[in-house]
Amino acid sequence: MSDDTYEARVITLPVERATTAARQTAATAAARQVAAVGAWSVDDWGRDPYLVDATIRLGALRWRTVVGGAERLPVRAGALIVVNARRYALTPIFTALALTQATDRPVRFVGRPDIAPVGPFVRRLGGLLDRPDEVAGALRAGELVVMGAHPELHPRRVGRVDHRLVGAAVATQVAVFPAATASSPLSRSARVEVGAVARPGRRRRGPLIELELADAVEERIQRLLDQLGGAQTGTPLDWLPLSGMGGG
Amino acid sequence: MGGDLGSRVAVLLEREPWVGQLAGVDIDPPRRRLHRASFELVTATDHDRIVDIVTTFDPHIVVHIAVWEPFSRANPDKARQLTDDAATSILGAAAECPSLESIIVRSGVEIYGRARGSPTRPDEDATVDPTSDYGRMLAGVETTAAAIARRVGVTFGAIRMGTVLGPHVPSPLGRMLRMPAVPFSVLADPPFAVVEDIEVARAFVAAAERRLAQPVNVVANGAITALQAARRGRRIPIPLVGPDWEIARRISGLFGAPIPDHVIEAMHRGRLADNARMEELVGFRPTTSTVEVVDKLYEWPTVVRIPAREEVA
Repeated sequence: MSDDTYEARVITLPVERATTAARQTAATAAARQVAAVGAWSVDDWGRDPYLVDATIRLGALRWRTVVGGAERLPVRAGALIVVNARRYALTPIFTALALTQATDRPVRFVGRPDIAPVGPFVRRLGGLLDRPDEVAGALRAGELVVMGAHPELHPRRVGRVDHRLVGAAVATQVAVFPAATASSPLSRSARVEVGAVARPGRRRRGPLIELELADAVEERIQRLLDQLGGAQTGTPLDWLPLSGMGGG
Repeated sequence: MGGDLGSRVAVLLEREPWVGQLAGVDIDPPRRRLHRASFELVTATDHDRIVDIVTTFDPHIVVHIAVWEPFSRANPDKARQLTDDAATSILGAAAECPSLESIIVRSGVEIYGRARGSPTRPDEDATVDPTSDYGRMLAGVETTAAAIARRVGVTFGAIRMGTVLGPHVPSPLGRMLRMPAVPFSVLADPPFAVVEDIEVARAFVAAAERRLAQPVNVVANGAITALQAARRGRRIPIPLVGPDWEIARRISGLFGAPIPDHVIEAMHRGRLADNARMEELVGFRPTTSTVEVVDKLYEWPTVVRIPAREEVA
C-alpha cells in the first residue's frame, strides 16, 4: 500500500512545527530580557567574567585603584596572594577585582558564604569557600587566589594569617605573595601593593612550614603597610581608624 | 552491556588488541552490533545463573556498569533495587573467579554530595558524603566493590562520572533541559558540569587497560548553568523559588520528564568536580567541553514515533 504523505508526516508535523515556533519566539524574547543583565556564562568554578567586568566598572565609580607590584605575579601559574583586611570592608573581593584588571587574568578570592542568594552571587564574582581543599584545587589548576588575613579594626595593622590556607599553597607548591591595601575615606584613591614572594625562614619537612610561612607573610604585609604610610587628612580624623579599603 | 553506555564500552573494548575474550550480562540485550563479545540475557536477581556465567568465564577484569540512575530507565525504587541486586550478584560472582586482577565500577560525582559548606569542585580525595538517593546508591556500589577487592586482593577503581549526555542516553537532566520550558533556581542558578557518553566509554576502557586502582572524576571541562543552557537551546527559562520546584517537578513528570532528587540538588547547589587527574589516571582529558555537550544535546533529533504503514499481524 503506498502512502504519499509518509515523508511529509515525518518531517513536518504541523502541531510540532507550530509549538516549536511559539517556543522559540518566547525563548528569544526571554533571552533578550536576560541579556540585559549578563551573558550568564560561567567558568569551571562558576565565575561569570561579564558580571566581574560590570562590578569592576561599578567599583571604578567610587575607587580609583592603583596596583603596584602586579608584575611580580606569575603570568600563567597559580599563586596565593594574602592581603590585610578590615572588618566589613570586603577587602579580598576588591583586591581580586583590582588584580583582575591589572593582570588580565581571572583572580579568585577566599571567603564566599555557602548560602543563597549571597553565596551564588559571590561565586559569580570568583568567590571560593574558606576551605583548604577548595583553595588547593584552585591553586593546582593554576589560578590566582586572594585571601584576607584575619580582619582588623585598624587599617594599618594586619591580623593573623590562616595557616591552613597557606598550607594549601605549600601542598600545591605555588608561590605566596604578601599584599597590602590602603584607601582614603575622603577621596577616591585606593592602593594595592603586591610584595615579593614570601618564603619560610628555614626548610621544614613537616607541617611547621605552613605556620612559619604564615608568620612570614604576616610580617611582610605589616612591613608593606608601614611603607605605604597613612592617608592623612590633617584633622583629628587621623586618630580614628577610618581609612582603609572600603572603610570610608 | 544492554544499556547505551555498556554497549558503547563493549564496542570500544572489542577494538582493543589487549582484550582477549569479552563477555557481558545484562537485563536488556545489547544496543549495538558486537562482533567478538558474547552476551547473556539475565535478570539481576538470578544470582545462581550470574555466578555460573561469571565463574565459567573467569575474567581478569570486571567492568561493572550496571547502575540505574533514578528516572533514567526505572523509577527511583526500582533503580535502587536493580543497582543493589546487580552489584551483589556480579561483584559477588567476580570474587569467586581465581583469575580476577581488577574491578572497575561505574560511579558518579553525586557521591560527594552537596551539603552546605562542601567543596565546590571536589577532587578524588574529597570526603564521600552523598546527599541524594543516587549518590547513596553509588556509594553503596563503591563500598561493595572496595570490600570485595580488599578481601580477594585485587585492584579496585571507580569512574566517578558527571551527568552523562548522549543522543541515546536516557538522562533525566538531559530530558529536563530539552523540555520546551526549562526551570532554573532564580536565587542560585548554580553551575554544573556534564560529560559526553563517548568520553566516559573511553575512560572505562583506559581504566580497564591500566588496572585503575583508585577513583577518578570524569567530567568535561567548563561549566554551565540551567539558565545558560536554556538560552543556548532556545528554551523558555522558568524562574523558580523554593516550593515552586515541587510543582515544577510534578508538571515535568506529567510531561514525561520526571526530575529525581539529585537533579533538583544540582539545580539548587550545582554539581562540579575537579577532573585534573584524568590525564594521569586514564591518559586523556575530555575534548568536548560542558557547553559543547549541552549544545549537542539540543542538536540531537527528537524521537518521532511513526505508526506502521501497514498492519501485518
